[in-house]
Amino acid sequence: MSADENLRQRLSSVGRRVRQWLRVQFSPVPLLGWFLAALVAVILEMLVGTPLARLLGMSKFPVLFGFALALAQPVYIPSAIVYVLLIYVLPVALVARLSIRLGNLLAGWLMRTSPLLSVVVHLGLLYGTLHLWAGLSDYRVLVVRLMLIAIMLTLSLNVVNGYMGEFSCSHPGFMALGAYAASLFSVLFFVGNDAFGAPLLPIGLGPFLFPLGLILGGAVAALGALLVAIPSFRTRGDYLAIISLAFMFIIKSLFENLEFLGGARGLSGQPDWASLPVVFAWTILCVWTINNFVRSTVGKALNAVRDGELAADAMTVDTRRTKMVAFFFAAFWAGVAGGLFAHVLRYVNPGTFDLKKLAEVLAMVYLGGLNSVVGSIVGAVSYNLLSEALRPLELYKWIIIPLLFIMVMIFRPTGLIAFREFDVVKLLHPREGTPGHAGPGAVEPQAER
Amino acid sequence: MKKRTVWTGLTLLMLLSMTFVGACGPGVDTIKIGINAPLTGDIPKVGEGTKYAAEMWLEDINAAGGLDVGGTTYKVELFIEDNESKGESAVAANTKLITQDEVLVIVGPQASKQAVPAGGKANELETPMVSPWSTNPDTTLDRPWVFRACFLDPFQGPVVANFVQEEFGYTKAAVLYDIASDYPKGLAEFFKMAWEEAQGAGSVVTFESFTTGDTDFSAQLTKIKESGAEFIFTPQYYNEVALIVQQAHELGWTAPIVGSDSWGSAETVELCGEDCYGLFFSTHYAAAGAVGETKAFIDRYNENHGYVPDDVAALTWDTMGIVQRAIQDCGEITGDIKADRKCVRDALAKITDYDGITGKMTFTEEGDPIKCAVLVRISEAGEFEFYEQVCP
Amino acid sequence: MAFFMQQVVNALQRGSFYALIALGYSMVYGVLMLFNFAHGDVFMVGAYIGFFVSSGLLALSAVGFLSLPTGVTLALVLVLTLIISMLLNSVVGMLVERIGYRPLRGAPRASAAITGLMIGIILETSNLALLGAQRRSFPDLIPGETIHVLGVNITPKKIVIVAVSLLLMFGLHLFVRRTKWGMAMRAMAYDYVVVPLMGVSINTIALLTFGLGSALAAAAGILYGVAYPVLDPYMGVLFGWKAFVAAIVGGRGSVLGAGLAGFLLGFIEIFVAAFLPSTMRDLIAFSIILVILTFRPHGFFGEPYSAQLRL
Repeated sequence: MSADENLRQRLSSVGRRVRQWLRVQFSPVPLLGWFLAALVAVILEMLVGTPLARLLGMSKFPVLFGFALALAQPVYIPSAIVYVLLIYVLPVALVARLSIRLGNLLAGWLMRTSPLLSVVVHLGLLYGTLHLWAGLSDYRVLVVRLMLIAIMLTLSLNVVNGYMGEFSCSHPGFMALGAYAASLFSVLFFVGNDAFGAPLLPIGLGPFLFPLGLILGGAVAALGALLVAIPSFRTRGDYLAIISLAFMFIIKSLFENLEFLGGARGLSGQPDWASLPVVFAWTILCVWTINNFVRSTVGKALNAVRDGELAADAMTVDTRRTKMVAFFFAAFWAGVAGGLFAHVLRYVNPGTFDLKKLAEVLAMVYLGGLNSVVGSIVGAVSYNLLSEALRPLELYKWIIIPLLFIMVMIFRPTGLIAFREFDVVKLLHPREGTPGHAGPGAVEPQAER
Repeated sequence: MKKRTVWTGLTLLMLLSMTFVGACGPGVDTIKIGINAPLTGDIPKVGEGTKYAAEMWLEDINAAGGLDVGGTTYKVELFIEDNESKGESAVAANTKLITQDEVLVIVGPQASKQAVPAGGKANELETPMVSPWSTNPDTTLDRPWVFRACFLDPFQGPVVANFVQEEFGYTKAAVLYDIASDYPKGLAEFFKMAWEEAQGAGSVVTFESFTTGDTDFSAQLTKIKESGAEFIFTPQYYNEVALIVQQAHELGWTAPIVGSDSWGSAETVELCGEDCYGLFFSTHYAAAGAVGETKAFIDRYNENHGYVPDDVAALTWDTMGIVQRAIQDCGEITGDIKADRKCVRDALAKITDYDGITGKMTFTEEGDPIKCAVLVRISEAGEFEFYEQVCP
Repeated sequence: MAFFMQQVVNALQRGSFYALIALGYSMVYGVLMLFNFAHGDVFMVGAYIGFFVSSGLLALSAVGFLSLPTGVTLALVLVLTLIISMLLNSVVGMLVERIGYRPLRGAPRASAAITGLMIGIILETSNLALLGAQRRSFPDLIPGETIHVLGVNITPKKIVIVAVSLLLMFGLHLFVRRTKWGMAMRAMAYDYVVVPLMGVSINTIALLTFGLGSALAAAAGILYGVAYPVLDPYMGVLFGWKAFVAAIVGGRGSVLGAGLAGFLLGFIEIFVAAFLPSTMRDLIAFSIILVILTFRPHGFFGEPYSAQLRL
């Protein structure tokens, strides 16, 4: 027993030392450095990924960090680990470490020149990385697109369930409204089918007007939110949960009965407009607006309402208006996400927006963490990656994912990264002179790894 | 300073290791076939049937030492992916099968909810896909790369309508279906159309629905009983059939209840019991009194898995056979996956009179088969007895 | 008139299930202010336990273990199945509390609810993994011919189901109102900050609440199996969410309210399907719920409560 204890102590002290060493080595790396490193790793994979994989005995480069391969055929576990180490971990660590000086200089210069430029450069790097990484396989493109849409959904639900502190179950409903409205827009105007006849506009215009369709989807979802908001914000309490659940059933039933939208058969024929850049752009827009929203006065008022509605009221917060605005806002983005979702699948039917979808969105929000933009991103990304990576386990996947979730909840009851502000400007700043400070910047590359 | 040398050294080491990486292409000695099945989610039984049937087919191939294509024998590997009965998951599974596992051809998904979006992906990535069970026209519509192995609703609806008119001479029909599920809904509508065409508008006296997951149909059945309908047509899945029939009898309904191919599972009788004896339904094949290949398949499946296979398993079995025929017709596997896929697709489109256990099949231009339906009576022993055959 | 009465009978049967399950939700919600989203699946587990227990008992009696007339045997099997399954399932419920809810006592309420949801998914999937995909046919414990009364068709099943569920509801009502444990539960519902300081253990009360709710869910599962003898691993999902709606419509912490709201939901569903186009049943039924909540935002019997009650 004492030996056991001894070992544990030794292990924990080793662990502490390793962590300390990592912090000293990597904390001065600015976000720019991480992005650069990720880009280098991805380029490396592009250049030598397939040959390296062949050398390691795999027939192709492992598409999702080797998870799927290793789980399907455990023989490949060592090769997958070596591959991930050689292609992702080592290059990222090396480039990040070696580029500290350069990265910080560059980040500092960018920030001094123009914060906007800095943002653009960072986003460009991020997109470049994502594009090159996903470009290697259509499967990756699809996974990334669905993941980005999941981020939008999670984030928008977090506004209601996290920042506002209510429990809303209507997100699949909003998604359905957005999906159908956007699909109707593109099918009616640009594609045409048996029910709507010939298209009204040339299809060439489509990709340019597509944002209008998505905004329409968002607007319809926000209109639908009115139906939920009016009865549920009369009083405080858990009635939103029920009303939003009822709303979800109503929407599903409504679309099943709308023959011109295909009823239960669903509506197909959406053009392939939700490509990776489009989804990426909308996701960035969504993150940006929601982040600004929750950091604005309204966002702070929202938190005040959550923590004590009476007190907030006394402090001249118009509680009802605040809640309404937040709810519409959340519904709008859920609608946009739904529109994109319909155009990624290029098919939409009412059965998609059921209790299963609800459980999924809720799980992502609470896994990532309440009241936190970063948390929602982490939640959506990890849930989606996990869900794809554990695919070979078939049935057992749906035992392991809930178990992992429960473990996370037991150790971090508010979710992985809860109640954290997402300060973009601070993130973009160079890191020199702040050793030992592990900012939220470390989160992004980790999520990618 | 010392640190820096360490880091630089590491970098050099890594770069060095990269230069040793050489390319070596593996030769083609296996044919990969993807199976996209709902192993979890709403319809796990369907996924199970798909998986078992596909594995049985693989057993046969392995027993023969491999698949003989144009004189060369290839090993066959199945890639079974779970689509969780979700559309997006089915699309992801298809994309993974096509781009990552590089399968030659995909069998599945089964339900239209997954087959329609997944078929879009297969068509876009130019990989042949055969859905054994999806009846939605959109699955194959304008998609040269997508096929199916089952007959469509516009054929089956009139078959049942004609049968009832000729057999019983009824004029007033009642329909009970699941509005949230596209297969029953489509079939219910085509049945209604056919019936009203023959008997005049309003001859379908009640057209009642419920939602997936419902187990209580008493309100709808009471309404049907009240309406004066002479029989009920209910194109539902076997678990619902048992409940519908039992509840109808409890409410004092004694007239016939007629069903469609979705009744064709061993579970229908197991769950429903004596209540279902004497009822008719249309389907692809009759398990009782089956002969030859069909009987061999049923017996073998029953022996391996302990129950009589349902229509999904039978259709998947046929689909595997069609795929096998197409690959063999193709003549040679070049190893250029694009060319091979094209070759298999063309061979699929050219298949005529494939003699499957669910009937003879020839694909139309749309990728839909032309095949016969059989009408089956559930006997007093609880077996599916062949009653008559209807061909298009 | 016969048509109407027949629909009333149908609705009574449908409503009893909603009511029994809603009670479990309502108790947890009333006492601990938590949503127990695993409850629908606990109901499913209860039905499966009932299936195995009753099949076992029937097999025992078939080999001559009980040599009684058939009717008596079946009645005995039903009663024994009910008792054994309720006991076993209350253990399941307590496990759910112990694993999913107790570690999250201080966390936001919704986190616990989602954990419950995840436990539900684990229950469904493990069932699928253990028992395979085929559905189970529940043994017919209450056979009997249909009786015609004034043009209404009633089976002995329906009578037993409605009677047993009313009996259980009444029993629960008495338990909560008349016993010391019931008083402790009510006290906890009133204020779970001060009451634990008075020597009432919140953990014990939580276990009791989950146990009782799950026992009722098991009873509901068995009756459900008798009425709709097709069991599958996902049977509790839709049912559970609908019962959840009923529980909240009934009002917080009101046994009577949850029971009534369960019956109300049954009536709404049946009557919408009976008198309006059944294709729009969900649409109309839930719109009615929405309207009810607009005008009675605290449910039927719930008291408006202050924000301080929230965890």
